[in-house]
Amino acid sequence: MNKKFAMIFAGAALLVVAAPVWAHHSFAAEFDADRPVKLRGNITKMEWINPHAWIHIDVKDASGATASWMVECGSPNTLLRRGLTKASVASGQEIVVDGYQAKDGTNRANGRDVTLPDGRKLFLGTSDGEVGK
Amino acid sequence: MRRGGYILLTLIAIAVLAAVQSLAQASQAPSESATPQANAKTAAAVKNWTPARTPDGQPDLQGVWDTASLTPLERPKELGMKAFYTPEEAAAFEKSRKQENNRDRRDGGAQTDVARAYNEGWFDRGSKLGRNLRTSRVIDPPDGRFPPFTPEAQKHYDAVHAYLEANPANGPEDRPLFERCLVFSQTGPPLIPGNYNNLYQIVQTPGSVTIFSEMGHQARTVPLDEHAKLPQNVTQWMGDSYGHWDGNTLVIETTNVRYNDMSHFGTQYDTGMSDRNMKVVERFTRTAPDLLIYRATVTDPTVYTKPWTIEIPMDKTESAIFEYACHEGNYGIVGILAGERAREKKLAEHR
Amino acid sequence: MTRRKLAWMAAAAAGIALLPAAAFAQAPASSQAKSAPAAPARAAIPRLTDGKPNLNGIWQAMNTANWDLVTHGPSQGPAAFGTFLTTPPGLGVVEGDAIPYLPDAAIKKKENYANRWIADPELKCYLPGVPRATYMPYPFEIVQSTSAMLIAYEYAEAVRTINMGKPKEAPVDSWMGWSNGHWEGDTLVIDVTGMNDMSWLDRAGDFHSDALHVVERYTPVNAALLNYEATLDDISVYSKPWKISMPLYRHMEKNARRMEFKCAEFAEELLYGPLRRKPNK
Repeated sequence: MNKKFAMIFAGAALLVVAAPVWAHHSFAAEFDADRPVKLRGNITKMEWINPHAWIHIDVKDASGATASWMVECGSPNTLLRRGLTKASVASGQEIVVDGYQAKDGTNRANGRDVTLPDGRKLFLGTSDGEVGK
Repeated sequence: MRRGGYILLTLIAIAVLAAVQSLAQASQAPSESATPQANAKTAAAVKNWTPARTPDGQPDLQGVWDTASLTPLERPKELGMKAFYTPEEAAAFEKSRKQENNRDRRDGGAQTDVARAYNEGWFDRGSKLGRNLRTSRVIDPPDGRFPPFTPEAQKHYDAVHAYLEANPANGPEDRPLFERCLVFSQTGPPLIPGNYNNLYQIVQTPGSVTIFSEMGHQARTVPLDEHAKLPQNVTQWMGDSYGHWDGNTLVIETTNVRYNDMSHFGTQYDTGMSDRNMKVVERFTRTAPDLLIYRATVTDPTVYTKPWTIEIPMDKTESAIFEYACHEGNYGIVGILAGERAREKKLAEHR
Repeated sequence: MTRRKLAWMAAAAAGIALLPAAAFAQAPASSQAKSAPAAPARAAIPRLTDGKPNLNGIWQAMNTANWDLVTHGPSQGPAAFGTFLTTPPGLGVVEGDAIPYLPDAAIKKKENYANRWIADPELKCYLPGVPRATYMPYPFEIVQSTSAMLIAYEYAEAVRTINMGKPKEAPVDSWMGWSNGHWEGDTLVIDVTGMNDMSWLDRAGDFHSDALHVVERYTPVNAALLNYEATLDDISVYSKPWKISMPLYRHMEKNARRMEFKCAEFAEELLYGPLRRKPNK
């Protein structure tokens, strides 16, 4: 690949990062970039619904009180195509959610990263980004 | 009574004749059931391939098709008139886009991070360029970019965006149509791929073709015989479509597409818009057992200074289509409206 | 008029003309009658090239099952709307005219009825589930080729993919469920599981759980008429399986079509109105 072409890619890359990314809806409109949250808790319910799947978890705070949180994920259809079923995510499973709290201050967050306690990701694309076609 | 019986007999006779005729037509239709070069990766390699026929003689386009690919809608300006990548350039592009698109990266600050929504596992935007190796989905104008708006349309577009800047979520009407679960870029027409659920099932029945989009669970049935059109004042988000065959190509013409200030091309996208004059002509051509080439030309003289055309390769997939029940679980729009109300309250308190 | 339309009309006319004959043939106890009626009925059913009945077209139920599955008189709707929202009277479609609820479920059904003006998922434009989609007061379209089958409903643009191949299991629950279909003679049989527990069966609060298993049977009588039956089994709500049946009629008007009815838009004020910057009164 010649140098000029590489430059073009670099230019395109900048554009892509700066352009608004859209999912089903604007996450920037729903969640607050100034309120990052890290939640650790047990799954009470997995809602495999569209347009977005929701994980319900119970989170214990330092005082021992339990708060229920809802964590927003993507469209389940992508995962169903890769063979996930409602049995794939069990209630009681402990997870760690890294995300941002809802702008209205309620206990909702986006699941920017959802991992098991050992750091493995709960919802994976395939390693090279090759997706279920 | 006798007379009624006569009419009935006549009708039956006509029906039998019609059936015999269409059977005869079907048997005349090219019956080469294809010599599929299964491994052919490009349209060029299978130029001489012709699709099998449905029992009523239509070229057979049936199956589930996936439009996901890394090909951008518009060509990056830097590429000028370069319409195709070489295979080496394509490989380099795919590698670089994969990294840029990867939602698992956490750089770029909190605003960018929250906008990336959730991790990469949920996305299905494809990991390769479309099989045509085009540098953009827009193929006409030749620079691969949408033609300019007319001055009137530009003025309107600017005014709407200025309003939305100041009033991002006064009510659901201010939000994009896809957030309200009404239409999606995928539902079209024209069919424009998005980040996931880019699957379509085509079913052909005697006299019509149905295009079922997973996103938005929209089944558009397109009649192939003469059919009364909707009156001009009745519009639908999916428009009013009529089809015919041009050789092996299914041609669908659509008018009466509903629009509002939140619709772009009648299907919302990051740019663009449509109005009552929009006409879409779609062309579906099966060029290989596992490839449909989709083209759509949009003419909207009161919005665009000239027509534009997109080309999207559709890959055959064995994947099932799943229900996309969007409106029923739309907590998102509640969160957006409630979030905006919370922001206004905070602003008022600071005053 | 096209050949196709003409053929339909002729087939329909033939079917209607043959109806009385078939009825006579089925009438009491002639010993020959049992084997005789199959032949004329068979001729009246349009078929695809694979010999299967051709169900393509726009169909609709003509009853009040969507208001209440069992026999009911008229009842008052919200008074401000006069007779617009009055429940129309109608005969039941349930075999035995009663749904065999378990005791707790019977209480829940009564609560649902009391809350129907705010709780019926239909008023929010939620997907209707099966079998309710069939007897809502809107047309639906069967899209059938020799290799695939879809059922597309006008209400909420609900669509079901009918898997006519090897039966598969629903990966997760959904509103319209997972449909595995097959032919038994001229009857299309669809086995539906994997429905969530959020849809209702009618505006009277009849309901089911996510254990619902529905078996639908679509039997063509002639080009313009289908007999529809659905058996509902749900161990957590009903004491035994129960059955509904009704005729489905083909839309015969010229240029009949399923129009677009994305009703979500019309439920927005109800669902999100209080979250407006300036709520409407």
